[in-house]
Amino acid sequence: MIDYAWFIFLTPIIFAPISAIAGWRRKASAGVIASLSIFISLILSILVFLSIRDQSTPIYQSYNWFSNINAGIYIDHLAIVMALMVSFVSLMIHLFAMYYMKDDPRKNIYFGETALFTGGMLGLVLSSNLLEFFLFWELVGVCSYLLVGFWFFKPNAASAAKKAFIVTRVGDLLFIIGLAMLYSLLNAAGVSGPLSIPYLISNSGAVVSAIGGQNLTIVTLLFLGGAAGKSAQFPLHVWIPDAMEGPTTVSALIHAATMVTAGVYLVARLLPLYSTSVFASDAVLYIGAFTAVFAGTIGIVVNDLKRILAYSTISQIGYMMGALGLVSIIGQSAVGLSIYHLVVHAVFKALLFMVAGVVLLTLMDLRDVKHMGGLWKKMPITMTLFFIGSITLAAVPPTAAYFSKDTIIDASYQYYLLNGKGLEYILPWLFMVLGALTTGLYTFRMFYLVALGKPRSKLAEEAKDPPVVVLIPLMILAGLALTLGLIQYRFYDFITSNARVISIPVIPSYMPLFMVLVSFVIITIFYGTGAWQKIDLSRSRIYRLLKSKYYLDALYTRGIAERVILPLSSGVSRAESGFSRSVEKTGGGAMAFGSLLRRIQSGVVEYYFVFLVLSVGIIMIILELMGGI
Amino acid sequence: MFIVYIFILLLIMTLVSFVVKRAAHKIATVESVIILFLTAIYAYLRFYSYTGGMMSVASFPIDTSIGISFLVGVTPVSLALLFLTTVIMAMAIFVSGRESYDRRFYGLMMATEAGLYGLLISRNFLFFYVFWEAIIIPVFLLIALFGGKNREMASLKFFVYTQLGSVFLLLSILTLFSFYNTSYHQGFTLNMGKLLSTAFINSYITSAQPFWTDFILFGFFFAFLVKMPSFPLHSWLPDAYNSAPYPVTIVLSGAISLMGGYGFYAVIYPIAGAIGFMVAWIVLLLGIISLVYFGLVAMFQENMKKMMSYASAASMGFISISLGVGILSSGYNTYTSITGGVFQILAHGLIMGLIFSSLYIIKLNTGSESTLTVRGLFREMPIVSAFFLGGLMASLGLPGLAGFIAEASIVLSSYSTIGMIIFFVIFGMIITASYHIWAAQKSLNGPYNEFLGSIRDGTRGEIAALSLLFVLILALGIYPAIFYHMIFIYVKGGI
Repeated sequence: MIDYAWFIFLTPIIFAPISAIAGWRRKASAGVIASLSIFISLILSILVFLSIRDQSTPIYQSYNWFSNINAGIYIDHLAIVMALMVSFVSLMIHLFAMYYMKDDPRKNIYFGETALFTGGMLGLVLSSNLLEFFLFWELVGVCSYLLVGFWFFKPNAASAAKKAFIVTRVGDLLFIIGLAMLYSLLNAAGVSGPLSIPYLISNSGAVVSAIGGQNLTIVTLLFLGGAAGKSAQFPLHVWIPDAMEGPTTVSALIHAATMVTAGVYLVARLLPLYSTSVFASDAVLYIGAFTAVFAGTIGIVVNDLKRILAYSTISQIGYMMGALGLVSIIGQSAVGLSIYHLVVHAVFKALLFMVAGVVLLTLMDLRDVKHMGGLWKKMPITMTLFFIGSITLAAVPPTAAYFSKDTIIDASYQYYLLNGKGLEYILPWLFMVLGALTTGLYTFRMFYLVALGKPRSKLAEEAKDPPVVVLIPLMILAGLALTLGLIQYRFYDFITSNARVISIPVIPSYMPLFMVLVSFVIITIFYGTGAWQKIDLSRSRIYRLLKSKYYLDALYTRGIAERVILPLSSGVSRAESGFSRSVEKTGGGAMAFGSLLRRIQSGVVEYYFVFLVLSVGIIMIILELMGGI
Repeated sequence: MFIVYIFILLLIMTLVSFVVKRAAHKIATVESVIILFLTAIYAYLRFYSYTGGMMSVASFPIDTSIGISFLVGVTPVSLALLFLTTVIMAMAIFVSGRESYDRRFYGLMMATEAGLYGLLISRNFLFFYVFWEAIIIPVFLLIALFGGKNREMASLKFFVYTQLGSVFLLLSILTLFSFYNTSYHQGFTLNMGKLLSTAFINSYITSAQPFWTDFILFGFFFAFLVKMPSFPLHSWLPDAYNSAPYPVTIVLSGAISLMGGYGFYAVIYPIAGAIGFMVAWIVLLLGIISLVYFGLVAMFQENMKKMMSYASAASMGFISISLGVGILSSGYNTYTSITGGVFQILAHGLIMGLIFSSLYIIKLNTGSESTLTVRGLFREMPIVSAFFLGGLMASLGLPGLAGFIAEASIVLSSYSTIGMIIFFVIFGMIITASYHIWAAQKSLNGPYNEFLGSIRDGTRGEIAALSLLFVLILALGIYPAIFYHMIFIYVKGGI
């Protein structure tokens, strides 16, 4: 008898093909069926949540999959929080998508794929085995590939889908190497369930002694590589901005709220393994913190509304990752910090993306913020929602992100304090504070350009609000964005019992808020007055560096793909055809030798006689040389 | 005995296909489906009752004084491959229906199937060798008679190459045969179980005859690596795959390619005790080189048939890796690796069957198979394109599909043997993923190439066949235990 919790992820997977097929004839039914299946998942998640809320023993059930690898479900507090978040946000987005995709002729395929995606994501969250986890990991990856390329006839979309797939695949294969190390070394040590998540997280000490601390560090770093690919951390972040070519609801669902946080979830899930090695946890911290500021700086100069949000996603995930890296000083409490920000981010980023979707729909897919402006007057309800999303993104108090993000920044200051105030230990905090500054900069810039000022295009002048009823999911999310801050400490305690309370000196603790203020002032000076239209930044070197995304994209496509891989491939295929020809020449050589021998068979008896004598002579000589008969 | 009846039925059907003039395609389809059905029933009955050892053993003595008898037996390895053979043959015969081939074609196809069937059920080296040879002839004729451009050259190359491999196979068999009599003093036998038994190999070959051990191993490896094909013995492959008509390409990539792998697990793995450290490493490295090398070559092809034929060879590299790792490590790493290798043959065959079948339909409808001409196909042929994409995804090892189970088994268990060389394997897999996705992006996505005009999707029958194949791949990916479990028991029990 399998637990009903299995159906949290099985329901959307089962309903996915049904919705695609039923929607073939009756287009409207596809969205309803998909949303219904996710609603069922949400209800089941809530039931499971209620049943394990007060107990610390997780639900664990598994069956043999193949070889000595089991597959099943493992639901502890961390997993159920993620499942609740995924099913809830996904449901909101599905409801909105019924409006957003209403005119698309292939929307049955769309809803089939998003339902499948949601099922995959829930499966990933509940997996009890790393290989099963990897299966869902790739399933959501392929759904992302299909959905980014949903409008396959657009060359941009097709190429973005390809890029997304290949870049995440690089991360995935690092993940596979890590799995291989863990599996084969633990097998050699005689462990019975080498990749089972409950085993790994509750016996991290035994794992260290079985495979050696150094190997485990490498394993965790490889997992971090996989997580960086999926969660778009530096240097594998390049695919997300391009992935914005897909439908906006897809960006909201996959590239903001759920799939891109899978990497964070992976690290959070296996955090006991990271806590065995300071090097590994520091790597997580520094990569996360650096990404937070790195992506933020690019976000300041981007003009595409969706891409601004994409860079902000990368930056925010950097905070979640960085929070996990603090495991070396605050232990398992780091999971609470990270996941709380993850949940808050999912809520307000889904909201922002759906607002962007509304804007794009009214502005006929115009995405350049420089051609918008003055939308607050034209579409007041939408823009109020946009305002709530924006201040949450910028972490203005008392929105939820103020509580979730600033706690992480504070904790990183504690990292500096507890490591003996060494100068290098201030870096994570510095990155994160500067990240907060850039967050403020791109957020307020985006808001000013979109919502305030005068309309700067014909389309913006004619914009108007959609029917209020379709905005209900957005309003729910906006309400949550404002109020989730209330449950901060209860949340931490739910994830890890007796979570540590972060307390640091007053001045550094107000730094992030001060940064928000600074950014607000700067942006108001530039964009509040229209001064930005007079300044030509394109000659500034820093501007060009940011605009070209630090040349990383160019390095990958032109430097690695075109200068290394393609020449290698063409060289090898030239070698291959040369090799093939040389094999044929060997055949030709055999033929030539044969025709040479044919000449001996001339029919002249004297020749035969000469050859006979010669051969007998040679044989005699050989026998003589070998020592006689 | 059941399996022998199926085999005899298959022989009769082959004859029928050669003789009956009318409705050759229909007859052959029905025949191959019947064989598929019977084999599937046989396999199904064995899945859950299997506890180890050989199934359906039967012996028909012919000349016992020199050890010749038609000895029949089925192991889980051969059962999995029998199933693969029958699926692929049914598929290849069915999709060839739109082109009007005559009875010679279908007779030869059925003869190929009969040869493979015979090879997989014989447990006597004489018949093993006879069927090994017998398969080459119908395939040679199929390419030579019905192939595309360069067909004479390609078929000849195929023939000579594989013939060269067979010679060494025969020499190895005869060496074993003679030592069994002269050193072991157990009389004449060609029974595979006896000639490959640990008692005989370990005490009378490995230590007593170092030179002949190498000789025997070289012969076997050479024969099987040519068939696989592995780098550097592969140059028959691109020509044969490309010049062959599509149905034969399906057979070549799906069914004929299993012969090398079958040889590995049925002949070489039982004598693993004789294989030294060096030899195992050479095989392993050949596998890795094949994976990377064929991947890089495939990446540069714009003809998708050519690209996929190299892709097929690249994924056969995993089988060499699996054998090498299996020999060099121990315990669960060995079991998982070897089982993964066998599973890879099965998965690879099914996946290539799906890819080449859908490519065949694309070729028939658009008249082209080049990524330069075939573009944006999703608009006009959404369903066949989806299956083609499914095949590509399965081929690059996407979890949830059969190929992943095999590749994961091999890669996961390999680390403790090969260490950081695993990066080359992963590099090969990244290359594989890249060109698969590029092929999909160019041919299926993007704007439609309007010069192709208005074309139709596949027919209902074709779509049904493709979806059955895809469902099979999906089922084996999600619930691999169907075959994996019994192969695992067999491997764990010691072959």
